[in-house]
This record gives sequence, C-alpha cells and structure tokens, in this order.
Amino acid sequence: MIEMPPASSATLRRFVAALSLTAIFPGVVLAQDAETPAAPERIDLTNFPGELVDKVVVPIPAEIFAVLDKLDEPDWNSGIQLPEANERGGERSILALTFGSLVAEGFIAVQAKNAEEIEKIGKRVLELSESLGLAASVRPHSLAIIEASKNRDWAKVRDELDATQQTVRTTMEKLRDDELSGLVSLGGWVRGTNVVTAFISGSYSEDKAELLNQPGLIAHFREMIATMRGPAASAPAIRAIATGLARLEAIIAAPGNLAEEDINQLRDISRAMLEEFYFAKPAP
Amino acid sequence: MKSRPRTVAIAAALLLSLGGAAYAFVNEAISMALEAATPYVEQGFEVREDNWSGEVEPGKPLLIRHQLFRGNEYWFWAGTSWPGATIKVDIFDNEGNSVGLESFAKDSFAGVRALPQKTATYFIRVVASYEKSGKGMTKAERGANQPVEGVGEFSGVLDWGLVYGYR
Repeated sequence: MIEMPPASSATLRRFVAALSLTAIFPGVVLAQDAETPAAPERIDLTNFPGELVDKVVVPIPAEIFAVLDKLDEPDWNSGIQLPEANERGGERSILALTFGSLVAEGFIAVQAKNAEEIEKIGKRVLELSESLGLAASVRPHSLAIIEASKNRDWAKVRDELDATQQTVRTTMEKLRDDELSGLVSLGGWVRGTNVVTAFISGSYSEDKAELLNQPGLIAHFREMIATMRGPAASAPAIRAIATGLARLEAIIAAPGNLAEEDINQLRDISRAMLEEFYFAKPAP
Repeated sequence: MKSRPRTVAIAAALLLSLGGAAYAFVNEAISMALEAATPYVEQGFEVREDNWSGEVEPGKPLLIRHQLFRGNEYWFWAGTSWPGATIKVDIFDNEGNSVGLESFAKDSFAGVRALPQKTATYFIRVVASYEKSGKGMTKAERGANQPVEGVGEFSGVLDWGLVYGYR
C-alpha cells in the first residue's frame, strides 16, 4: 500500500494552505470549514446536464515517476537509454514521435539527477526541433534545461521539459498540425510507459502495476491514430504503433488486476513500438 | 476586450517562472487559474503547462476527463476573467462520487484537492456563473469608466480555464 502522510502533517499542510490562500485572496473560505455537507455530492455521468470537454491532457511521465519514487527506489540511471541520433529521415510524424520520447528521456534523467545526460538530451531536443523547423521557439527551453541541470534545480528542469513539449505542441497546433502535436504526446507516453513497465517487471507489486491502469489514455491515442489523414496515416511505423496500442489496450482493459506477466507483455509491446521510431531495431 | 493589468502581470510572471515563454499570448482565464495556483507551487506542487480553456454559457456545467494516479496529490484550479463572474470546480470518480477533499471558491477563482484512491480516469466539473448586469454591477466590475457602447458588454458566454498541479 502507498503510505499517506500522517493526519497531523496533512492538517498542518491544509492550515498552511489556508493561510497562504487567505493571505492572497482575503475572504476565501475553505469549503470544508464553511459547512459540512450531509452527504457527498454524486453526479450521473451517463446523463450529465452539461458539456463534455473534448480535450485530453496527457499526463507527463514525471507524474507516474513521482508515484514510483514513493513506492520504491528505482535505479533511474539504469532507465536512461538515449539512442544514437535518429537516422530514419525527415518524416515529420516520426520526428514528432521521437521528440516526445526524447522529452520523456529527459524526465527519466531528471529522476536520476543525471546532469550530464540531461545536457545531452537538451542538446538533442534542440537538434530535433531544428529538423521540425521549430528551433527558434525551443532554443530558450533547451538552454534553460541545460542551465537548470547544471544548477541541480530538478524541479526547474521538469518545468522546462514540460514547457518544451508544450511549446512544440502549441506551435504545431497553430500551424494546424494537430496530428503532429498528438504524436508528440504519444511518443512521450510510450517511452514513459516502457520505462515504468521495465522497473515494475524488476520488482512487481500490485500497487505499482496499478499505475498502468490507463485505458482512457490508450483509447484516446487509438482514436487519434484512427482519425489521422494524409500519407503519415498509412506509414508502416504508424500502423505498427496502432497495432501496439490495440495490444496494450487488450491487456490493460481486461478485468482484474494486472499480473506480473501482463506487465512483462506491456514492457515488450511498448519496447517494440519504440523500435519503430526511437530505439534501434534488434538485429535479426 | 477586457483589461486586467494586474492579472496579466501576475500570470506573465508565473508563466515565465513555469517556463511559459511558450505562450505567445496570455489566456486571461488561465492566468486567473494560475494565480490561484501560486501559493501551492511553494508547497511543492508542480503545475502542468498543458491545460483546458474555452468559453461557456453561464451556469452550463462542463465535464473534463483526466487520468490521475494513486499516490499523487492533486489540486485543480479554475478561473474566469469576466468581471463579476464566479466559478466553481469539483472532482468526481468514474462512478460519479465526489472525491474532493478540500475546496475553495472566491469570485473568479476556485480550486479543489484530491488524493485519488485508485489510478483511473476522474471527472472534473467546472461551472462558471454570471448573474449581474447593468446597474447590478459595481464600478470596479464595470471598470473605472462607463462602458463605451459595444465594448465590455456581456456577450452571453464566459471564458474559463483549468490548470492542475501534482506532488
């Protein structure tokens, strides 16, 4: 089980939060202090009287890594696997996927507090953004990543990695390249999933395995790939990734907890997906 | 266009502190939400760059799906920039049960905290409301000067923004 902070610590935090908040917004009242409701509110999700917002915000790998760090002490350095510079050409869909995975690699290196690797990744991010024609907007982030890692300001490095990805995605969306923007998120998610499953395979527990319970995100990515248009949609790598997502979904959406064997399969499938655009394929 | 110099200044500072040079423009509702998030950043919450925003009719609830991980603690902060409008935010599990542990709502800002009991998709409900108009508005809500015809009039929709942080 995940250990939660003791009640006294939580109470103290709430008190500090309340003080901070009321200092900034005089008159703010915490709901729980204002009135204790008779029963928690419940809503009917099948008949919601409003609007369901379409946009899906994909969690960054650092969110999952934070939980893994609370459950265990993974050797994050062993998880860093920065591949050689991609020589698979300038196909933009592949570059977008690679960009997302590279940023995820940065998040792994931050967990490892490995400034040297972060610097390499920061430079690689900039090189890749040049191939995508987005260097001007990425350069400040790349420099900030390198600078923050030298100062061992890991929270700042995480912020900058998140900002880098967001800059690239926002710029792509402005250029009406929503497909590419989605692929950046997908590339990051697959790399994050792969490293998390690799760690969980090494020291399985149900609590850790539960982190993979993300059927909504997989459904989102599957739909995104299914609605892709243009030549990229039929590219072999994209088709292989679509198949990989379907296989991941079949395991994750099945009833019951994820067993160790399930996690091993998720690790192998996500690895195979990454070999389509990020890692080198193993020699036959 | 409404003018909120203080908000814009604070938001710009926060966006920059978050590495937000990504934004070529400032979304005022997001700026309000980020303003609400500011005290929590000092408590170790890492605020995501990605967010949700848009426009909605007053009183019409919005439902946002989001993946949360058991073991993390989350705050969601909502904001609207329309003078006199209010906003509320709640969070529910995938069975529709409220799971917010703590919340606040003060005019243009609101927030809710959650400690997910399981890793799953959760639903965040945002409701922006606006009831005042014309003489019901204070001077501050109207702005210092009387509105120029067609400027600053309520158009029927409110802007809204939602950000979140985790630790």
